[in-house]
Amino acid sequence: MATALEKPPATVGTTSATTQPKKGLRKYWHLYAAISPFYLLFLCFGLIPVGFSLYLSFHRWDGLGSMEWAGLSQYQYLLSDSDFWSSIGNTIIIWSLATFPMIFLAMVTAVMLNAAVRFKNVYRFAYFLPNVTSVVAVAIIFGSVFSTNFGLVNALLQAVGLDQVAWLNTPWGIKVAIATLMTWQWVGYNAIIFLAGLQTIPSELYEAARVDGAGPVQTFFRITLPQLRPTLLFVLVVSTVTGLQSFTEAQVLLQNTSNDSTFSGGPDHAGRTMVLYFFQQTFDNNDFGYGAAVAWGIFLVVVIFSIINWRLVQRRGEE
Amino acid sequence: MRSPEKIRKAVGAVRLSRRGLLRAGLAGSAATALGGLASGCAVPTGSTGRNMVLWYWDGGLGDTVVKKAKARYDSSVDLQAIKIGGYYRSKLITTMSGRAHVPDIAGLKGEDMASYLPNADQFVDLRTLGAEKYKSQYLPWKWDQGIADDGTMVGFPIDCGPVAHFYQYEVFRKAGLPYEPADVSKELNTWEKFFAAGEQLKKRIPGTSLLTDVNSIFENVVQQGSKRYVDKDRRFIGDQEHVRNAWALAVEAKRRGIVSKLVTGTPDQISAVDGGKLPSQLGASWASYDIKNGNPKTKGRWRIADMPVRPANNGGSFLSITKACREPQQAFEIISWMLNAANQASGYVDAGLFPSTPASYDLKQLREPDPFFGGQVTTDVFGPAAQKIVVAYNSPFDVALGQPIKDEIKNVGVLGKDPKKAWSDAMSKCRRIAKHLGVSY
Amino acid sequence: MASIKGSRRRGVALHAVLVVGLLLSAFPFYWAIIMSTHTSTEIFSYPPKLLPGSHFVQNIRSLFDNIDFFGSMFNSLLVAGAVTFLVLFFDSLAAFVFAKFDFPGRRLLFTLLMLIFMVPTQLAIIPQFVIMAKIGWIGSMTALIVPAAANAFGIFWMRQYMKSAIHDELLDASRIDGANFLRQYWHVALPVVRPGLAFLGIFTFMGQWNDYAWPLISLTNPDNVTLQVALSQLNGVHGTTDYGMVMTGALLALVPLLIVFAIGARQIIGDLGKGAIK
Repeated sequence: MATALEKPPATVGTTSATTQPKKGLRKYWHLYAAISPFYLLFLCFGLIPVGFSLYLSFHRWDGLGSMEWAGLSQYQYLLSDSDFWSSIGNTIIIWSLATFPMIFLAMVTAVMLNAAVRFKNVYRFAYFLPNVTSVVAVAIIFGSVFSTNFGLVNALLQAVGLDQVAWLNTPWGIKVAIATLMTWQWVGYNAIIFLAGLQTIPSELYEAARVDGAGPVQTFFRITLPQLRPTLLFVLVVSTVTGLQSFTEAQVLLQNTSNDSTFSGGPDHAGRTMVLYFFQQTFDNNDFGYGAAVAWGIFLVVVIFSIINWRLVQRRGEE
Repeated sequence: MRSPEKIRKAVGAVRLSRRGLLRAGLAGSAATALGGLASGCAVPTGSTGRNMVLWYWDGGLGDTVVKKAKARYDSSVDLQAIKIGGYYRSKLITTMSGRAHVPDIAGLKGEDMASYLPNADQFVDLRTLGAEKYKSQYLPWKWDQGIADDGTMVGFPIDCGPVAHFYQYEVFRKAGLPYEPADVSKELNTWEKFFAAGEQLKKRIPGTSLLTDVNSIFENVVQQGSKRYVDKDRRFIGDQEHVRNAWALAVEAKRRGIVSKLVTGTPDQISAVDGGKLPSQLGASWASYDIKNGNPKTKGRWRIADMPVRPANNGGSFLSITKACREPQQAFEIISWMLNAANQASGYVDAGLFPSTPASYDLKQLREPDPFFGGQVTTDVFGPAAQKIVVAYNSPFDVALGQPIKDEIKNVGVLGKDPKKAWSDAMSKCRRIAKHLGVSY
Repeated sequence: MASIKGSRRRGVALHAVLVVGLLLSAFPFYWAIIMSTHTSTEIFSYPPKLLPGSHFVQNIRSLFDNIDFFGSMFNSLLVAGAVTFLVLFFDSLAAFVFAKFDFPGRRLLFTLLMLIFMVPTQLAIIPQFVIMAKIGWIGSMTALIVPAAANAFGIFWMRQYMKSAIHDELLDASRIDGANFLRQYWHVALPVVRPGLAFLGIFTFMGQWNDYAWPLISLTNPDNVTLQVALSQLNGVHGTTDYGMVMTGALLALVPLLIVFAIGARQIIGDLGKGAIK
């Protein structure tokens, strides 16, 4: 008893405060029971479906009739499917157009928030607001902001003497509109994260820099940025995984642009992200077998991209 | 460091309230889950109790008929007519795959009909409910469209879709073009003359385009003919003369600048129509409902004339009874009543649904002048057009194999893509899809 | 002297930039308000109106006529609430085990947890649809609640929190007093991690409220959908849309989350930062 109280506080991975002797697995049944709901749910709605999805990708099925064995033909079709490849391209381009400005703006905002002493909470509240909204509602609103003849953006452009841009009617316009929506939504959220990171940087480092005569820009690049690296990594990884799977923004913005599909992604399918393509093949064409193959294709792309991301940021960290 | 005593006291005080909350919460979620499970088992694939659920789309049936049907059959069923937005076919088939909340009566769009027929086993064969005795009252080619290859009757005819040329009277007059319906029909009777009119329109009134998009030309020319994209023997025919001809005409339209870059249904396009910048549309009879709803401000400014060359058929739908329906006989009574000659005439007035029951043509409603079209008796155009429709074979693969071609011509029209490249892209996509679906190329 | 003036100027500039950012963040909300107070025709006029109009009530009336707004909001509340409750319960329970107990297979199970976290959800959509079709859950809220009832992120989050927040001495004291597992969880662990629970709860609620892709597919009964799907249905009518009404719907859909946020703002903003650093 006394020994238990004298033990040092638990650290990661080591045995915790309990010193119950092992009386066989039965002793731990309540622990297994406690963690089982999650694993059970995962089994039913995670593992089994994923396995079934793999099975399905080797078949042809329209959801109503019977399943036919198709071997690898769905995957062969996938590899030769230029629409799939362009949807990957669309996704990556939109992701880049959104993420890099977003990270830059988030960092700048965080630095400014850090420097501002007054109204800090007001700013933080306001900047976080875009993230606390219904994505569908925001997509509808942005749809009208980017309207060619009646949208705010074009009104502003014309007010300064520039030409209108047919945002939702041209491939690049569509990508920029979607990326703008995503950037707007996430800058505040990530700014808060960066802000927290900034606040962990010891002020001695800044002192030292000032003593050495470094200006603000130099301080930022030599001190702030390297210190923020782990935070940056976190933000980047999360942005990658969510950004590559984007669906709602593209679907809602462009759902009215085609007579034949609500998943079309606009003219030339410029806004058709990977997940949007997956939905189109599965639910518009009732091609469940091919849809499963597309889903696995998406999975691979996300994994590869995440690994590349990880490696890049890791290596820069080692420099 | 608080003493264990204090902790126990504090904990004890809060114990009751949190335990109560936990109990309530657990009970709540258990109830939800069980309720869900129970309802999942209790509700079979369709509706419950007295409910009879009908799915259709805005403009698929006339409002008056639906209201009357609800009232007429109120003693036996609660008819719930639900308008489904978005992409109707996708929603219906997904719901059927989901095996839950499948409607009892389902509208089926004409252009999708061919894709429903291979899944005829999802629907009740209407012959088993006594449909045959109505056959003589309907246009034969329309009746046949609702029948699957093995003879199963899947759909009961609603309307047919004779296509005509809707145009704005004043705009045509101002542009020096013929403006009375008879004159327009006579003088714009070939595509060449139609395009020339478009050029003249643009010259005389800058900022206008005759039609909204090239797809209008492409699809209507294809639908004027007797062939589509896949033939009876599952062979791809989308690269043959009839499609190439339609493609060439569409490209020509783009080249001569008579189409706009706008997308139908977007606010920009609607306001352009309202402002007289898009004075023409090639639309089926049911399209008049869309114009009346989308551009109410243009009332009285339209007239209808024959479309160039000869009429196409676009659309025209059916009502079906799904296997989920628990009272098929009752459902059949409802739909056969809703789709009789008198009610189809009422549907024409409400939603521009041109009747597929010839008996309707003599009824008063079809002889009424329509104020939206400046008092013109629209049947004068649609009636003869419906007689001249060329029947085509619709393959279940038409949708999938026509799509790449329609997408690419759209790129030519909206994005200015090079037509030759667009055509070869379309063909290579069709080749791939044909292989994927087992259609021979 | 110069440096003081300089720093004051810098201070003003700083706030000016921050205010611009604030306006940009808040602007779409203002725009939604403007559009929902005008009729469709007024919206489609050029130049765009910049001040609110007077048709709000009219638009609200058409909105309620066209969709079952409160019904779908109730569904969203039901789903988000039920999921939040279940997640908080299951995740905190599991996190407690992983944080404070040792047992055979712990490391293996935890690694498994991390792998599970990385599986993208699309892979499961079709089979989930098929399975639920078979058991009759398609079209019901159950299909939304059950699969989401526990998630890996929540377990990670609570475990981190619990490791540092629950002092071992407290736990030992309760054990000495003879508390069994559930008592330890309920009386020692939960009270201390309430802020962490609050964050997870709000975060989960917001996520479920915004869930769109799966409900879009699985809620095949058009009369019984969640708010996001109802909004999308409203906007999805090709060609004949009353934009004033649609925008009103969008605006009203923003409100519930804003309320939740206003209540829990400090919690969310504070804990988000802390969590990211760990």
